[in-house]
Amino acid sequence: MFKFFSATNIYLLIHKLIKFINSIFFLILVIGLTFALVLSPPDYLQGDAVRIMYVHVPSAWIGLACFSVITFLSVLNFIFKIKNFYFINKSIAPIGLLFTWLAIVTGSLWGQPTWGTWWAWDARLTSMLALMLFYIFYILTFKLLNNEVLIIKITSIIAIVGSINLPIIKYSVEWWTTLHQPASIKITGSSSIHSEMLMPLMVMLLVFLLYAALIFLMKYKTEIIRIKKKNIKRN
Amino acid sequence: MNIISNFITMNGYGLYVWLSFSIVFISCAAVYLKTKKTLKKYEQEFLSELQALNVEEKNKALENSKIAQQILATSSKTS
Repeated sequence: MFKFFSATNIYLLIHKLIKFINSIFFLILVIGLTFALVLSPPDYLQGDAVRIMYVHVPSAWIGLACFSVITFLSVLNFIFKIKNFYFINKSIAPIGLLFTWLAIVTGSLWGQPTWGTWWAWDARLTSMLALMLFYIFYILTFKLLNNEVLIIKITSIIAIVGSINLPIIKYSVEWWTTLHQPASIKITGSSSIHSEMLMPLMVMLLVFLLYAALIFLMKYKTEIIRIKKKNIKRN
Repeated sequence: MNIISNFITMNGYGLYVWLSFSIVFISCAAVYLKTKKTLKKYEQEFLSELQALNVEEKNKALENSKIAQQILATSSKTS
């Protein structure tokens, strides 16, 4: 069982997964864009501006999910000292930053026609900006420091402190009066979004997830090669 | 003609919708290309170091590392 998770097997699996994602990605992207831009209906209040949702919502979800994974693995790494988690977190963080930034930018572009402003210092928007700052500090730690033990300590602290922000983002629209609308999609309970909009949203989420997986695998593969390069003469 | 025009203007929201999708597409493409370039750079550096070894060291490295074999195989396929 543990032999399966050796660097060699993981490397070979990554190679196959990258090939697989590359082979299906463009087909799913075309389907997703067709639904998002053509087939899905305009909103009765927001009109066609609602189409921004198909890139904004998956971006925000992935931005949050990446930080949740980073926090979880940081805690495990802090306790069990599993070096692999360090490389996984290092590979995930830029993806989380990208999607958090995209959620903020597309949210701003959605806010202008619907709220009449590009930005407001309300709870949801400010807490998303705070998440982006946590990602920046997290990535800068890898870039600026050389001592691996120190990097693990600092990044774990950033991740654990930053994780306090995650429930604030999630419940900000319920705890405070904000411009941002409450969640339309609920895991428990009934969602208020129509199936004609939910379906394209799920396809676009799949597109974004595949893209995130592809970037993660490429970055993780780079990390494996970097380690192997260091140890080439010891083999 | 009217359908195409409506598709482009999005009933007055075209600027916001197209700009959002364009920013997402360009950002994702840029990150993909940068990640791919970095991966290729490390693969090339790894191969250069492998080639710099003497025959005995190189054979030993290839024998003991499936990853080295894989990098060598994929690079010879793409080059």
